[in-house]
Amino acid sequence: MKIVTANRLSDGRVIYAGAGNQPVEQLAQASVLDEATAEIVLADVAGRPDVFVNPYLFDVQDRTPSGRDRLKERIRSAGPTVGHSVVGGVG
Amino acid sequence: MYRYDEFDHALVRERVEEFSDQVARRASGALTEDEFKPLRLMNGVYLQLHAYMLRVAIPYGVMSSRQMRRLGHIARTYDKGYGHFTTRCNIQYNWPALTDLPAILSDLADVEMHAIQTSGNCIRNTTTDVFAGAADDEIEDPRPWCEIIRQWSTIHPEFSFLPRKFKIAVIGAGKDRAAIRTHDVGLQIVKGEDGETAFRVFVGGGQGRLPHIGQEIASAVPAADLLAYLTAILRAWNLLGRRDNIHKARIKILVASLSIEAFREEVDKHYATLRHEDLRVPEDEAERIKAYFAPPPFEDLPKVSGPFDRAMLADPDFARFARNNVRRHRQPGYASLVVSLKPVGGVPGDITADQMDVVADLAERYSFDELRAAYEQNLVLPHVKLDDVPTVWRALREAGLATANADLATDVIACPGLDYCSLANARSIPVAQALSRRLADLDYQERLGPVRINMSGCINACGHHHVGHIGVLGVDRKGEEYYQITVGGSPDEQAALGDIVGKSLPADEVAPAIQRTLDRYLKIRAEGERFIDTVRRVGPDPFRDAIYETLDATA
Ligand code: HEM
Ligand code: SF4
Repeated sequence: MKIVTANRLSDGRVIYAGAGNQPVEQLAQASVLDEATAEIVLADVAGRPDVFVNPYLFDVQDRTPSGRDRLKERIRSAGPTVGHSVVGGVG
Repeated sequence: MYRYDEFDHALVRERVEEFSDQVARRASGALTEDEFKPLRLMNGVYLQLHAYMLRVAIPYGVMSSRQMRRLGHIARTYDKGYGHFTTRCNIQYNWPALTDLPAILSDLADVEMHAIQTSGNCIRNTTTDVFAGAADDEIEDPRPWCEIIRQWSTIHPEFSFLPRKFKIAVIGAGKDRAAIRTHDVGLQIVKGEDGETAFRVFVGGGQGRLPHIGQEIASAVPAADLLAYLTAILRAWNLLGRRDNIHKARIKILVASLSIEAFREEVDKHYATLRHEDLRVPEDEAERIKAYFAPPPFEDLPKVSGPFDRAMLADPDFARFARNNVRRHRQPGYASLVVSLKPVGGVPGDITADQMDVVADLAERYSFDELRAAYEQNLVLPHVKLDDVPTVWRALREAGLATANADLATDVIACPGLDYCSLANARSIPVAQALSRRLADLDYQERLGPVRINMSGCINACGHHHVGHIGVLGVDRKGEEYYQITVGGSPDEQAALGDIVGKSLPADEVAPAIQRTLDRYLKIRAEGERFIDTVRRVGPDPFRDAIYETLDATA
């Protein structure tokens, strides 16, 4: 199964295509699509470059990123795995 | 410090206006991403995993307190309260919104800063020795020459569409503290036969996918002809460099495929005509620029300082800082201080907005208003009175900036890796953090002496792993992070690429394997040998054995 993802134009944050092909921020809200539908959704969001920048598909199993971009998509959905030098870290 | 003239001001302001308009048109949908991308890259704006990334140029790594405060202001106002210093003496912001970028660039322009030519196929920010103008072994201050190169290379029409990016570094001492032989062009100030300033020129160095150490192309180009010679090099490459394959477009590939002799002939052909044109650096102009870099008004001080010596005796923590982070200065009674951005378990190169303010204040009060960005992802206060060092140290310590590990094992260079970078194969920051925690004991680190450990999250080598004494490269094995270890690289005047020791390791094995490598060194080193000396003497084999010893036992 596949999910459509992109970066949001205004701030670059990770977004996904959710219900009604609307942008959603959480992986949990993303639509999980079969191969054929995924291509259609991808084409649809590619036609909205004022929201979706660089849209593409990645593989999921039970909504968890899998395949070649497994790690990258995990980090994209959850944020950097590191804080910064200040104890406690930030966002 | 160099001050903008009216042309610089006008140019940077015009660029901000132009880019504001481009951002507005992108935001309204009038420009597509394909149209916008080259425009944003011309202004240092990348799109990474989680957000846009803005890379700001710090010309030859030199900053005033006012500029540093402004960098802090930007971190606080438009980012998440911190910034990241890189191996290219730039600062990167990881979280700016597209719509804030014009305001950020305008804030930068107020303090004579910008992001022009921090990306794309152009001549990038020229770098230099972080102790330029302060080091006691310097023949001549390289910064005026960096400034001359900056003026020549900024928006140079002939060099706006190069085959690939192009990086120049300049040093003014025999000791190479700027890794010049890993640059497309490395320049070393020497004295010509007549005693006049000249440049020894290295060409074709670079890291990335196909690393090369720069080769000497000229032994003493007269200073007045420097720009003619650089133009000749760029022209030769611009004409002959491959544009059909992005991986083969760098000058290192051209030099390696032609041979240095044949490339030299090409360059000399252009140089023969160029050196008689108006590219000669006029002496009065060189003098005018040099005046901006005149030494600050140092006091006449004795070589030794009572307060410094007393603090050494009284406080072992200060003594340690003095041993590891304080560098000899050309002016008696002064020193340069390395401000480590590598606290135990920290992210190499990260600094918060509040910390930026602290360092700016300290520079203003104690270092003639000057700060430097080091390629090791640290900062330097270049001109501190020895008498003041204990006071400065206390203030740094309070701000978490006094880790006494400059050039030691936890002074790790690491690129952002897969936590931020869209090109990465693996994470580098958490591996650097694990190593930093493991080797945290400063007694142990001092016993080891200087060791350069560098990590990159992919073959682009932003973390300089090829020239680390120990290098770590993240690779992807079927969606799992693995790390290839190299030993024996060196970034300095004995520049060398490290040898790959064997099969790559899983993430949690990297720090223990490096510690075993260092322990092996402690066992086999000869009297007075640094880690790299031992590697050069015995080769990589004993270290390979150390790295794989436990792994083999369990395999
Ligand atoms: C996160 C955004 C970054 C991106 C997308 C990026 C991209 C790249 C790419 C594509 C190359 C290879 C160029 C080539 O071989 O022609 C490269 C090289 C390099 N980058 Fe980065 N980089 C990033 C961040 C950094 C950072 C944070 C540093 C410093 C810590 C850095 C320093 C360097 C250096 C030193 C090289 C080697 C240049 C050479 O000798 O060829 N970059 N970068
Ligand atoms: S080395 Fe690779 S992972 Fe690291 S910053 Fe450069 S491009 Fe990104």
